[in-house]
Amino acid sequence: MTVILEALRYLGYVLVFPGFLFCFLAGMLLCGIDRKLVAKMQKRVGPPILQPFYDFFKLCGKETIVPAAAERISFMLAPLLGLAALVVIQLFIPVFSFTAFYGMADIIVILYLLLIPAISIIMGGAASGSPYAGVGLSREMVTIISCELPLVLVLLAVAKTVGSAMGTGLCFSLSDIAEYQEINGSLITRISMLPAAAAMLLVIPGETGSHPFDTAEAETEICEGLLAEYSGAALGVFKLSHAVKMLTLSSLFAALFLGGLGTGILVLDALLLFLLCAGITAVSISLVHAVTARLKIEQIFKFYWTVVSLPALLSLVLAWYGL
Amino acid sequence: MILLNYIAAFFLIALGMYTIVTKYNLVKTVIGLSIADYGVNLLLISIGFNPGGTAPIFTWSELDYNSFFVDPVPQALTLTSIVIGACVTAMSLALVIKLEEQYGTIDTRKIRRLRG
Amino acid sequence: MNLLGNVLSYQHFPIYAIMVLFMGSFLIAAFGENRRVRNILALLSITASLIFSLLLINPVILRGEIIGYWMGARSIAGGYAIGIALEVDALSLFFALLAACAIFVSGVYSIQYMSRDDNEKEYYTLYLLLCGGVMGMVLSGDLFNMFIMVEILTFAAVALTAFRNTARGAVEAAFKYLVVGCMGSTFILVGTAMLYAQTHTLNLAQLAQLVPGNMNTATKAAFALLFVGFGTKAFIVPFHPLAADAHGAAPASVSVIISGVLTKSGIYGIIRITYFLFQSMGLGTMQFLLVFIGSVSMFVCVTMALAQHDFKRLLAFHSISQIGYVLTAVGLCTALGLSAGLYHAINHTLFKGLLFLAAGAVLHETGTTDLNKLGGLARKMPHTTVLFLIGALSISGVPPFNGFASKWLIYQATYQKAVESGNIGFLLVTVIALITSVLTLASFVKVSHSVFFGQLPPELEKVKEVSWGMRFAMGIFALLCIVTGLFPNLVTTYLTEPAAAAAFSVQRYIEAMGFDGSAAVEILAGSFRYAGVWEPVSWLLVLCIALLAVTIAALAGRYDNVSLCRTAAGDSKYQLFYGGEEQSFSQLGGDDMFWGFKHNWRGYFSFMHRLHSGIVNDYALWAVADLALVMLFSLIVL
Repeated sequence: MTVILEALRYLGYVLVFPGFLFCFLAGMLLCGIDRKLVAKMQKRVGPPILQPFYDFFKLCGKETIVPAAAERISFMLAPLLGLAALVVIQLFIPVFSFTAFYGMADIIVILYLLLIPAISIIMGGAASGSPYAGVGLSREMVTIISCELPLVLVLLAVAKTVGSAMGTGLCFSLSDIAEYQEINGSLITRISMLPAAAAMLLVIPGETGSHPFDTAEAETEICEGLLAEYSGAALGVFKLSHAVKMLTLSSLFAALFLGGLGTGILVLDALLLFLLCAGITAVSISLVHAVTARLKIEQIFKFYWTVVSLPALLSLVLAWYGL
Repeated sequence: MILLNYIAAFFLIALGMYTIVTKYNLVKTVIGLSIADYGVNLLLISIGFNPGGTAPIFTWSELDYNSFFVDPVPQALTLTSIVIGACVTAMSLALVIKLEEQYGTIDTRKIRRLRG
Repeated sequence: MNLLGNVLSYQHFPIYAIMVLFMGSFLIAAFGENRRVRNILALLSITASLIFSLLLINPVILRGEIIGYWMGARSIAGGYAIGIALEVDALSLFFALLAACAIFVSGVYSIQYMSRDDNEKEYYTLYLLLCGGVMGMVLSGDLFNMFIMVEILTFAAVALTAFRNTARGAVEAAFKYLVVGCMGSTFILVGTAMLYAQTHTLNLAQLAQLVPGNMNTATKAAFALLFVGFGTKAFIVPFHPLAADAHGAAPASVSVIISGVLTKSGIYGIIRITYFLFQSMGLGTMQFLLVFIGSVSMFVCVTMALAQHDFKRLLAFHSISQIGYVLTAVGLCTALGLSAGLYHAINHTLFKGLLFLAAGAVLHETGTTDLNKLGGLARKMPHTTVLFLIGALSISGVPPFNGFASKWLIYQATYQKAVESGNIGFLLVTVIALITSVLTLASFVKVSHSVFFGQLPPELEKVKEVSWGMRFAMGIFALLCIVTGLFPNLVTTYLTEPAAAAAFSVQRYIEAMGFDGSAAVEILAGSFRYAGVWEPVSWLLVLCIALLAVTIAALAGRYDNVSLCRTAAGDSKYQLFYGGEEQSFSQLGGDDMFWGFKHNWRGYFSFMHRLHSGIVNDYALWAVADLALVMLFSLIVL
């Protein structure tokens, strides 16, 4: 009996919180907030906050066309795999003191799990056979390479800071990082972590592929690149994945730098996490989106490996010398 | 005396390497490999050499504490090494012939389709 | 009966595992005219070799014995080793098992892959000679015998590289490999001779007993000679261009052996001389040497791979890049590091074998490996595509495949080393390893797009799936890739940790052969402590549940058959979108990928392109220069 209850509990984690339902609602809301904020910053009225939901359901009602030149199975499976992988990451990211699946993955694993949604969109695009997808996947991959260096440096800096404070030398476990912040307060309050947090804020738009780092999708130039041949429900799933990715990365930021703010009550924590994510999204995605124009792909690479990596590196060096 | 052997051995090895590095003719490259090989053989045989020692061929009854002979192990090694050297030369010359057939030249500077 | 029992004692299994391969080779040379006889002989000898190696697991790895085997019962006289010895500890057996598995799978693949070539008899003779050389090298207990086996395998590898001598660059590659490979062999022989001059023994155990107390200029120089000599066999920087040339030309089944096994035997040689013979791994400077060369190999080769547009040449550069990971981890000289490195060695053999076989399958069916001429094969070769993707995701370190499991350990090991030694340099190594990993992914995204996805060129319309035998061989590798990725604890407990522990117990190694090992330098191994957690099976379970949930939702929604109708013929809505242009073949070629990345590094790439000039003199110069530098280094620090 207890086994069944346990299984149901974990199934609940996967399906409701912090799994699918939460990801769906929170991700879409974040997306709506982002669109509204960008519009406000640009002195436009903007769509209603619930617009992403309308878009999603409308797309689900449309016909899904698989091009004759496409490899059908990969083409149709790719969106589903990407979404599932993203939701699974969300299960490993602690919501303050609560972690749905404890002791299964650390930050290095998360770093790699974040690649799976990207790979699935790349595979889906490549399978469509569209020449635009070819250009798009090339750019998408370069964007991933660009973001990787600062992200790695940020993660290592956090691991070093928490590890040396806990006496183990280094610590990759997200639950331990959350626990450390419960006791010692948020990491962002440490001066050595400030540059890393700033770098992470700039990594988020790159990882999610939002403006100005959206060369891989550049609608006006390469017709959405990888998504050029997608339509209907499959496209809807990709749009949903994009929204969930915003949630995942901003909650990763919250877990790394803003831990220890939790109240201990799960519902309140979830609400708080959502508010924090909205704040992070507002700063890192909406603000950056509103004030910049799209970069060229080689500029993105240069930007991430210099401007963003340097603060992350600074943070790592500071953490190394125990500041 | 034996010092001269060592100097000569390492000189031959160095000469062989120098030939391989600087000569652009494939046959000369093969010659360089052989020269280096001869140097190694000389080194090996010098290591086993004892001044005044006899050939290391004894039966158990002949062997006593007064027998004085050169070390047999390096000789065995040298034999093996000579055989291997011959194989290297044969095989590389075979490849040179094939290269000449395919590229029409034995200049290493022109045989560089695989690069980058 | 007693005789039979004696003959079947496991003490003899190492020599059997070597001999069956050589016997197979000679028998095929003599009686291999008939195709069926030839195939049976080849399969028999590789299977027998695999079985003998598997049977050694119980005594050597599980019971922890070290088998010291004297040929012809000549052992020690007057305190000196007289006979030729085999010595099998967990480390040797680890590499032997790796070799036996790869040899078996690649042999099975060869049967159908080589069926279109002539001179199959010579192929199998050389192939088994190569395999026997590798087996003999890793099981040998005698430095000179290691040299002999290295020569045998170099020769066989060179001959097999030139086997398809009409293929572009095959003979050229073979010649370059022969010149530099023979220089490497010469270095090993000179090093052996110098060690013999100092210690009057060739037995590895006795050398390990005598050399560390006997350090002088000659032994230090011998170290450099042996190190660089085995380096040429492992193709670590600066010998990586040879690997690229050789792999590009050799048949795929041989590439599997060269990249999966031959390079490992080079790594094995390096571990033997650094951990055992000279026992110098405790020195920070020696760790620096290995880690430095490893990291440079890792990074330089992955960037070189990004610039390639030939499938097999690209794989060859990746091969050396992965060897760089292994060498880096081995050079850390911690129990975790060595275990991680050996784990990666297993994984490299598996996924690189799989990838080379997939490349071979593509070559077999299409006749080309040029990325600019291929595309869209997923629809023609679906099984090969899936198998290739497993290999590609494994090498890129995507969970839950095996590449991730070992890379995860390597990151931890390097980072832990950085924290423990307080040396920020090791931190840089962690970062390089992580970046290399993502560049590897980029490179394989490029391959999968330009070979298996994207558009199908019109001239490849008639391509068919490869035969079941080749798919079976790839399937074995793919299955092993998944198994070793999902159960990392089993692999570390039963394979890599015993092997790593063997490398840290030099004294036992010396004493197993009957010498006095009390003077052996003890190297502190450190602990097996993981800084993070990774549970692949549970993760996969959760992912499957999530995927199931999404799929059910999708099928219940608009993923049904009605909306995915197949009536495509002539209907323009199922054609690709071309922005108003008339539809034509417009695949993005492999050369043009990742321009945004290459543009920023154009200086680096053009420098590298000029450096890899393809002139054999240059490569020979690199070998000599490498020797000079390592010799200088070892004279100063040892």
